[in-house]
Amino acid sequence: MYLPPFRYVAPRTLDEAIALLREHGDDAKVLAGGQSLLPLMMLGLARPGVLVDVNGIPGLDRIEADGDAVRVGALVRHRAVETDPRLRAACPVLADAAPLIGNIRVRHRGTVGGSLAHADPAAEVPLVATALGATVEVRGAGGARDIPVHEFFRGYLETALGPAEVVTALRLPARGPRMGYGLAELVRRSGDFATVSACAVLGLDGGGRCTHAAVAIGGVGPSALRMRGAERLLIGQLPGDRTLDDAADAVRAEVAPESDVHASADYRRAMARVMARRALGAAVARAGGESRAAGPGAVRS
Amino acid sequence: MIPEPRADGLSPAAYRVVGRALPRFDVADKVRGATQYAADWQMPGMLVGRILRSIYPCARIRRLDVARARALPGVAVVLTARDLPRSGVEEDPTGAGLLRFTTPILADGVVRYQGEPVAIVAAASDASARAALAAIEVEYEPLPGVHDAEAAARRGAERVHEGRDNVFVHWKLRRGDVETGFRGAAAVVERTYRTQRVDHAYLEPEAGVAWVDADGVITVRASSQVIEHFRALAEILGLPHNRVRVIAPFLGGGFGGKEDMTVEPYVAALAWATGRPVRMVWGRDESLLARPKRHAFVMRYKTGAARDGSLLAQEISLLADAGPYPLLSPRVLFAALVVGCGPYRVPHVRIDARAVFTNNVPASAMRGFGAMQMTFAYEAQMDLIAHALGMPPAAIRERNFLRKGDRLPTGEAAGTYVALPELLRRAQDALGERSRPSGPTARVGRGIACNMQPYGRTVWFQDRASAWLGLEADGSLVIRAGVPDLGGGQAASLAQIAAEVLGVSVERIRVHVGDSALTPLAGGTFATRQLYMSGNAALRCARELRAEIAPVAAALLEAAEADLEFADDHVGVAGAPDRRVSLARVVAECSRRGVPVSRLSAFQGERSAPPDLDTGQGRTFPDYTYGCHAAEVEVDTETGETRLLKYAACHDVGRAINPQSVAGQIQGGAAMGIGQALGEEIALEAGVNLTTLFANYLMPTAPDLPDIQAIVLESGEGRGPFGARGIGEPPTGPPLATIAAAVADATGVRPLELPITPERVFRALAGRAGTKEGR
Repeated sequence: MYLPPFRYVAPRTLDEAIALLREHGDDAKVLAGGQSLLPLMMLGLARPGVLVDVNGIPGLDRIEADGDAVRVGALVRHRAVETDPRLRAACPVLADAAPLIGNIRVRHRGTVGGSLAHADPAAEVPLVATALGATVEVRGAGGARDIPVHEFFRGYLETALGPAEVVTALRLPARGPRMGYGLAELVRRSGDFATVSACAVLGLDGGGRCTHAAVAIGGVGPSALRMRGAERLLIGQLPGDRTLDDAADAVRAEVAPESDVHASADYRRAMARVMARRALGAAVARAGGESRAAGPGAVRS
Repeated sequence: MIPEPRADGLSPAAYRVVGRALPRFDVADKVRGATQYAADWQMPGMLVGRILRSIYPCARIRRLDVARARALPGVAVVLTARDLPRSGVEEDPTGAGLLRFTTPILADGVVRYQGEPVAIVAAASDASARAALAAIEVEYEPLPGVHDAEAAARRGAERVHEGRDNVFVHWKLRRGDVETGFRGAAAVVERTYRTQRVDHAYLEPEAGVAWVDADGVITVRASSQVIEHFRALAEILGLPHNRVRVIAPFLGGGFGGKEDMTVEPYVAALAWATGRPVRMVWGRDESLLARPKRHAFVMRYKTGAARDGSLLAQEISLLADAGPYPLLSPRVLFAALVVGCGPYRVPHVRIDARAVFTNNVPASAMRGFGAMQMTFAYEAQMDLIAHALGMPPAAIRERNFLRKGDRLPTGEAAGTYVALPELLRRAQDALGERSRPSGPTARVGRGIACNMQPYGRTVWFQDRASAWLGLEADGSLVIRAGVPDLGGGQAASLAQIAAEVLGVSVERIRVHVGDSALTPLAGGTFATRQLYMSGNAALRCARELRAEIAPVAAALLEAAEADLEFADDHVGVAGAPDRRVSLARVVAECSRRGVPVSRLSAFQGERSAPPDLDTGQGRTFPDYTYGCHAAEVEVDTETGETRLLKYAACHDVGRAINPQSVAGQIQGGAAMGIGQALGEEIALEAGVNLTTLFANYLMPTAPDLPDIQAIVLESGEGRGPFGARGIGEPPTGPPLATIAAAVADATGVRPLELPITPERVFRALAGRAGTKEGR
């Protein structure tokens, strides 16, 4: 397995990068951390003629936390997401998801923008972004635009990015006062992509009722999916064990996974329920509700 | 009680070198990345060799046209089956006169598994070699093929080879009368167990370079466990045997996967055809796709025991999926047959062990060689019988353990001390206090499993190994032995053995291994035979050399031969520290007197005829290594996931020549077995391999494994040097059954099929509702 031949260019500015992408069209690929693109090239599944290395472009690797909202630059490495204290304070769910990505070598190179643009249905960054209703900032020849995450992911390894567009940042919404999150994933082997993953974000009112509910499941469809049916069951309810069980059951009914060499569709569906239930339990506990207590970090089964 | 070591002239306390965890001479280079592995070899004008492999598991080749490929720039040669003097060597893969078979080097008209080599190319660059492969025109007529071993074994099944039964080997073992045994049994347990195909997954994939030397000798320097393949290579090329030389440099692992030839015939043919050096390195995808795997076994067991737990009868039917060619399957199945009952006394035994042709990826040798799969079944049967009788798992084993002198099912006696009671106790104790479940859906369970694994080849192969030792004028020592070093320290062990006898410090010993032209042949490094065979050869050679020079040293020192001590590069007189001479001085005196200071010796293993083919009664393996493993797991009952919390692996190695190497073998072997127990599987769908990447062939990584406690017992009773037993293969077997037992203990559901995936455990737990399955 050797890399097929390609041209390598390292622009110094975003405009230069965009111009190169326009010039080469489909033949060009953006190289950031290279943790997904290079393996695809090694396997012959991607054969770009030109690699546009964006690592030298200044300003894309910043974490900006003003007040509660957070803006994570596209070139921020997963390891930085894992360790940056401001990011952890502002968006602990993303910080907790980071250590679930690959291994420490992958996290030191892999980037937030790369993970979004690659759009693997079982990856952690797209999962959390989906659950949070985040916004992806992109730049192209026509200038900058914001894409809500639910419009950004279009299918298996497919996004709304135009041919000459580059992800520049992930913007995460401000966290409400009584909001809690939960993460759970099932992996066959440490560091692998999840068989099934779940991220739940719940907001409670003063009476402990659910005012906001977002449940995203990864690994069961072409991209991380919001579980609208389950969310509807939660809104306005006191999130006790019964309610969470019902919501998790709804997740099981809502997903339509496929079988592969690692797990059958039936098992994935059953595990979507289990992971959703675990994520919901942790979210309620963190939001100050009643369900089973959540420790720090993700529920890693 | 561990007995005192048998008398070998030295008591353990007197060993100066043997038994010490000395750093191996080969390790520093490996750590620095300086070792020249097979793929690292560079030669001027070297070509790149590549293989065109079949994309279908079963197809007729309607047309194969290489003209366009041959015409491409940079392409030196393209060869098909028709271009080789002989496309294979007829062999008897049973070694007992039961079968003749020629396994093709390149497919001729038919492909029988996905990835089978169809054509080979040599080109100036990798890019032009790949272009040549793409330019070869093959027109296949895909055929359905035979992919289910059990269906293939039925009468009237579609045949893999025209005119041959799919079942190509059937070993039988008959002892006593199983019906009598079952009639008297208080408990009878019957189950079917299935183990999966797994890959060797060595660090170093298959690789080698071949060239035609100035004297016309075709030399193949390849990652191989068997330099004696030079003979088969010569046959294929139509050359005299002495015109082919095989060199095995240090290997990055073999595990049986480099026991059959890998790149050797291809690089040899390409170098022979072009007259230029040719290098071939297989990618991991090629290795996972097409290299022979560990056999998938289906094992039906029926076990009967008396009320007190004594085993009365064992009836076993074993079927192995061999793929389309016999390779080493007959021998793998024979090893499985012999240890089918495990390390227990069973008076009535009936075993049928068969291998069947299919159009799946071939299976052949892999660490544990058939014996290890059986552990999964016979140890589960012990637990189930214990459960049926209300006995603890340890108690039923203790009641039935073999003891030295007891008859094995083959009718031969267990020839050396069997330390199983001590091994069992040590392994269980090593787990310490029971862990508490980490959450509300978690259950903790424990399991044990014992095994016996042969070391050395079956005695009818009349095994033999040679070694050459020579003292240099400066008192340093040279060892020459045709031993391929797979990374297990095979070469360093020889140095440690020779150092013990001759008193040369290990730093002053140079070991030359693995060259069929320059080192005396020692047989391949497989069957856990190299320490046993070549260790004995080196020991004998060292003792004979010492006997040769001792009179000279005695004369120099004016002492009696019996009082001489060989140590610290000197010969001295016991009890008189100031009376000594350097070995260099002794060598000089030998030269003056015409006494030889070098020697070639051979160790001849036991020789015997094959056992009775209708009953399996007779002499089989030289001896066995016994072990017991213990594990603690946590199972998440909601997801079916199994996490290994603690693991202890305990073996009686007779005598540890280098305890650090022994611990390494035990830890690595256990990790390999754990991988097979919990995650690894070469998954095929109608013969098409779905697992040709490490992304979907799930080997455990460091974070997946707990610290594996290697516990070494030294009974002093083994047939190797200083009473050593082999330890290469034995540790791979017990993990399968140990982990299955721990999962059963945690969940109440006994895994009967490997690997124990979360989904399988989940399904078993879901399906248990209402049913009562024994543990």
